[in-house]
Amino acid sequence: MAESTKKLKKPDVKIVLLGDMNVGKTSLLHRYTERKFKDTVSTVGGAFFLKQWGPYNISIWDTAGREQFHGLGSMYCRSAAAVILTYDMTSWQSYVELEDRFLSLTDTANSDCIFAIVGNKADLTDSHAQASNPEGEEENKPARMSVSSSSLQRKQVNREDAMALYARVLHYKGLDEKACLPAESMCFETSAKTGYNVDMMFETMFELVVPSILKKRNEGESSTVDLEAPSTGKSNKAGCCT
Amino acid sequence: METTDSPVVTSLHQSDKNEMQSENNIDSITEVEDHMTLPRIERSKETKLLDTLTENNSNPRYLPVDIQKEEAVVFDVSETVKAPEDGGHEDSGEFVVAMLARGKLEEQDVCKRISPPILETSLEASTHWDEDVTAETWRQHRKHVFVLSEAGKPIYSRYGSEEALSSTMGVMMALVSFIQSGDNVIRSVYSDEHTVVFMQQGPLVLVSVSSTRQSEQQLRNELLYVYNQIVSMLTQASITRIFEHKKNYDLRRLLAGSEKILDGLLNLVDFDPSFLLSAVHCLPIASSFRDSLSQILQKAITPNLVFSILIAKNQLLTIAQEKMVIEDAKLDPSDLHLLLNLIGASSAFQAGEIWTPICLPSFNPDCYFYAYISYLDPPECTVCLLLLSTDNEAFYAVAECKRKIEEAMQAQNALTSIAKAQSYSVSQVGVSDLRHFMYKPFDVPDNHHQLTQFTSPEMEAPYDSEEEKMRLLDLYRDMHGRIHNTSRPLKLIYHVGLRETLLAWVTTKFELYTCFSPLVTKSCAINAITKLLRWVKKEEDRLFIRYPPKYSTTPNASKS
Repeated sequence: MAESTKKLKKPDVKIVLLGDMNVGKTSLLHRYTERKFKDTVSTVGGAFFLKQWGPYNISIWDTAGREQFHGLGSMYCRSAAAVILTYDMTSWQSYVELEDRFLSLTDTANSDCIFAIVGNKADLTDSHAQASNPEGEEENKPARMSVSSSSLQRKQVNREDAMALYARVLHYKGLDEKACLPAESMCFETSAKTGYNVDMMFETMFELVVPSILKKRNEGESSTVDLEAPSTGKSNKAGCCT
Repeated sequence: METTDSPVVTSLHQSDKNEMQSENNIDSITEVEDHMTLPRIERSKETKLLDTLTENNSNPRYLPVDIQKEEAVVFDVSETVKAPEDGGHEDSGEFVVAMLARGKLEEQDVCKRISPPILETSLEASTHWDEDVTAETWRQHRKHVFVLSEAGKPIYSRYGSEEALSSTMGVMMALVSFIQSGDNVIRSVYSDEHTVVFMQQGPLVLVSVSSTRQSEQQLRNELLYVYNQIVSMLTQASITRIFEHKKNYDLRRLLAGSEKILDGLLNLVDFDPSFLLSAVHCLPIASSFRDSLSQILQKAITPNLVFSILIAKNQLLTIAQEKMVIEDAKLDPSDLHLLLNLIGASSAFQAGEIWTPICLPSFNPDCYFYAYISYLDPPECTVCLLLLSTDNEAFYAVAECKRKIEEAMQAQNALTSIAKAQSYSVSQVGVSDLRHFMYKPFDVPDNHHQLTQFTSPEMEAPYDSEEEKMRLLDLYRDMHGRIHNTSRPLKLIYHVGLRETLLAWVTTKFELYTCFSPLVTKSCAINAITKLLRWVKKEEDRLFIRYPPKYSTTPNASKS
């Protein structure tokens, strides 16, 4: 029974992973929680994980990058304390998509939401690593549909691009760059495959949301109601009763 | 024993030869609705062996009233087809056959009765998206499935990338629209080795190219599963809306990442008879245990929860439903199959709790449910809880239900009992010569019609290899196809093959497929079936969900 009461703990704070399909969001989380890299299948909807971090319970939402679930993004982002915008370092397109498709989803997140820009697949960026890697489909090419896509997609994303995006994200959110965390510490280059920077990235994020937990505890639970209407286009709350 | 049975085997050879000859005459047929009523090809294999049980039946209790005797009529199809058909249709029919079977028509080799053994197991299918579509190996796949839009844009191909196949799909669409322009609907094309079935669903066209010798109806049902799986992800309303808006929309944008779900579905369709029978397979457990699991589900509820489903080893343990919901409509087995397939394809999230919108097409093709999926026994991940809500914001409330369920199950040590539960062996039935069976009852108590179920033992030797399993399933499919033949349905088929004897029987109370050793005699088989039916009756409570439990979560249900 003691074990089950442990599970009843409410999450104190929410972190959301966003990004195009096949950038490796699930793989990053899997590397962090399971300490290994394995073939994953495309996420459906969103998956919820609870991470015990010291005395705090941190919930992590691993969302589907597929356009099919786009309408749900803002739902998963509701009152998030941190958003991890993830791209594939070997795919310029995945970087562009962050601004085009995913940034607006964060409108439902907390006003003091922390942003991180995370480039995954660092192991593939070296010229020698460009050769195909038989271990994981996800690590090779993004899905079967975009194999013959333009060279634009092949263009790599470097750290300067990520930092520029970070500045634009803050601008979008109407935040003062000087008052926020510096781009140098909020842009990460990781590899879910080798584990490079993965723990560091997640743990940095956990540390950063702790003040947000404390703030929330001080304010009490009253602030959790979000009046902003969700823009979940496809969803139909009427459900079965038609 | 052997001497008395040998004539049976010989006569099988003869009838098989007859049938091969008749099949060689078949070149191609285009079945076109309305205008032309072509004679259907009646494959009257082993006609001579088909028999009724009336003469020598020793147990009248299980006798169906009107047994149809299969007639030995073989249409000479090549002649009948060519006479009434006008040039245009004939040409196009041959064109697609040429496209899809490339020159196979010329080969007048004796074709095998049942399709050749699987060249590669379809379980590998998911890795086949990058294969060379011009290669012979691509053409040799047992069953291709294509999905395209009305504008001829490729959406999905089971093998090979859609892009490489865009011209092939263009031809398919050209065929569909050509026939359409004459106010007709193309349904199927037959060649020596392939059956091509077309199905249009709204703005989508689905095509199956199969060498499995399945009936057109069966292939059509499979295509419907594919369509419904797509609807389960997007809803029919949004598919229609998208294409109304933009006719040449590339639906792959929305389905990107879902190919594995469709690949997985087609593998299940090939290997899991649930799809053929449109029925759900339950894991056999003691009825008292099933009741206690049901009670656990009934107690863990929250507003807007409509279905609570417990699954172990991909088989149903129990399912509880909201009262209002079952009054309105029932959960169709095919919806459950789509859900089970989705869970199978989501195996990567075994550690997390999934929250995803899903549409149940047979229930309501236009709206979403929100599915909560979580495994109760990590890291093994064999026991899965599925909770469906109509409220997209209900994640935390529904997750709370899971905690309650988990707690109650721990208190009863239910996971240990579930781990011990397993499908049964045919030897437990205690009928010699019986190798395998599938039994789908219709005569079950109150509420049972809410969920059609079937029971079947494990496939054991000699059906323990992938090839042999598939061969037995092909035989079942063949029997099923002939029992349910729309132009000439049968009640009973007794089929003597070289390697086994099969008996299929449909009454108002059940549908039964049995497989015996090849040397069984007819009276033996009938006795065996009597015993089998008695055994099923005795074990009924363990094999099936007898009374699906209900709960009420919406006291002030707002109906719109």
